[in-house]
Amino acid sequence: MNKSLEQIVTEWVADNSKVIDFGCGDGSLLKSLADSKSIIGYGVENDPDKIHSCIKNGISVVQQDIDQGLLEYKNMDFDTAIMASSIQCLRKPKEALQNILEVANQCVITLPNFGNWELRTGLLKGKMPSSSQLPARWYETKNLHLCTIADFEELCETEGFKILKKVYLNKRGNTSWLTDYSPNLFAAEAVYLLGK
Amino acid sequence: MKTHTEKLTFDETIKLESGSTLSGFELMIETYGELNQNKDNAVLVCHAFSGNHHAAGTKTEGGKPGWWDQIIGDDKTIDTSKYFVVSVNNLGGCDGSSGPISISPETNQMYGASFPEVSVKDWVNAQKTLLEYLKIPAWEMVAGGSLGGMQALQWSISYPTLIKKAAIIAASSKISSQNIALNEVAREIIRKDENFAEGDYHLQNIKPKKGLKAARMLGHITYLSEANMRKRFGRKLQSPETKIDEEVSYEVENYLQYKGEQFAETFDANSYILMTKAMDSFDPAKDFEQDLVKCFKQIKAKLFIASFNSDWLFPKEYGKDIQLSAIKAGVRSSYVELEGDYGHDSFLFHSDEYASSLKNFLESDE
Repeated sequence: MNKSLEQIVTEWVADNSKVIDFGCGDGSLLKSLADSKSIIGYGVENDPDKIHSCIKNGISVVQQDIDQGLLEYKNMDFDTAIMASSIQCLRKPKEALQNILEVANQCVITLPNFGNWELRTGLLKGKMPSSSQLPARWYETKNLHLCTIADFEELCETEGFKILKKVYLNKRGNTSWLTDYSPNLFAAEAVYLLGK
Repeated sequence: MKTHTEKLTFDETIKLESGSTLSGFELMIETYGELNQNKDNAVLVCHAFSGNHHAAGTKTEGGKPGWWDQIIGDDKTIDTSKYFVVSVNNLGGCDGSSGPISISPETNQMYGASFPEVSVKDWVNAQKTLLEYLKIPAWEMVAGGSLGGMQALQWSISYPTLIKKAAIIAASSKISSQNIALNEVAREIIRKDENFAEGDYHLQNIKPKKGLKAARMLGHITYLSEANMRKRFGRKLQSPETKIDEEVSYEVENYLQYKGEQFAETFDANSYILMTKAMDSFDPAKDFEQDLVKCFKQIKAKLFIASFNSDWLFPKEYGKDIQLSAIKAGVRSSYVELEGDYGHDSFLFHSDEYASSLKNFLESDE
């Protein structure tokens, strides 16, 4: 979790709200939101080591594979659901997005942009590219459904997911005139606030 | 590890959930480690249905390790060099606390079948009297597996300000019809023993050992997983020299016979019935219009809920259900699914995953 992503999400989350973070990792985002916004936070995670870290840090966490379903968390009065860098790892990303919007009124989604120029040039060399956002080799990666910013926004449009806010980040995790000028080419990561 | 065992006598009358009262009661307790100056390191561990106050160490009970000895001790998961651990034999038990084999102060006779029905809530109320007696402001954690986990959960509901953390392991917010059915078969086996005498066997100086043994054999199967039994016994035949009974062919039979017999020697049949009934009746939501979420809104403690994949008696859905209701109620809570090789009994045994998650929970900030 780089600093600016944390800052962006902090701005979008209301004080004292109820937040669920799907794929919460070691719980650091929830921890920072609890400290700065006094949220009631829950993480969902399936990696035992990360779960241990959450528990150690006093973060509420549920051991579960996100692919096993998100709808269990429907009608639990969540204000915000977060899915940071996980959507491309899911078996059915479209359904996951539909479901996550059932769980909370607004959802923070972040995704690595496969349209980034460095990845494009990498692919031009004829091999699967890698970057700091996508470090794993093709045979080790958990990513099943990589997409570009253009792909993702097209899906949002067809499915009627409203993009309430969005921020494009370069590989250092900062916004810049380049990433705003042509996000699909220059952004390494996109952060969205979606609503129904 | 500093260990202390004591039978405490309380003069106050305790009103039980059933409406009956006990005018005065005794609690057999065992403690490990020492209470610190701030009195904020006390952990209550609650036993499952056939357990007792002897939770750890080998200093008492003839050197037999306590039921949670793999978890409690110096440098163990619940580290007795840091925490003061309190363990109580529950009311209705048969290891020193008031129960069917203790003497009623009213009649000066053994209670026997006349010992009133007890519930998880009653145990928690008695444990609260103990908390006050020990002058501990609040438990840092209440923990237990199975029926012990139910007590931990009840603690967080009944006395929200007196408990900081609850570890609810291999437990349920209410047991299933299948669980009740298995308990009833066990009770029926006991009741049909020719020595049961309507529960007043003590008056004739006899014991329904055969029934108790068979009930335990049935119970024991439900505590283990199929995989564990396969690994441990398979279809191996018992060697003739070590057969406990002529009828026995397989190792698994011999094992159950042995365990059942051992149990029947030491446990009391009326206690068996009382304890299983307390398990059947546990349902904290019943005080809140059957709404578990409403019930959980009482909770201020942080919860740790753990289930074991190999547990078919209290399957992991039970734990997950507690977690989902806790989230809905806005209770700080975590849920983990642990491997566990031993079926329902997994909560008794150390595994790295289990130990580190419980330890992390206990030692996390409030």
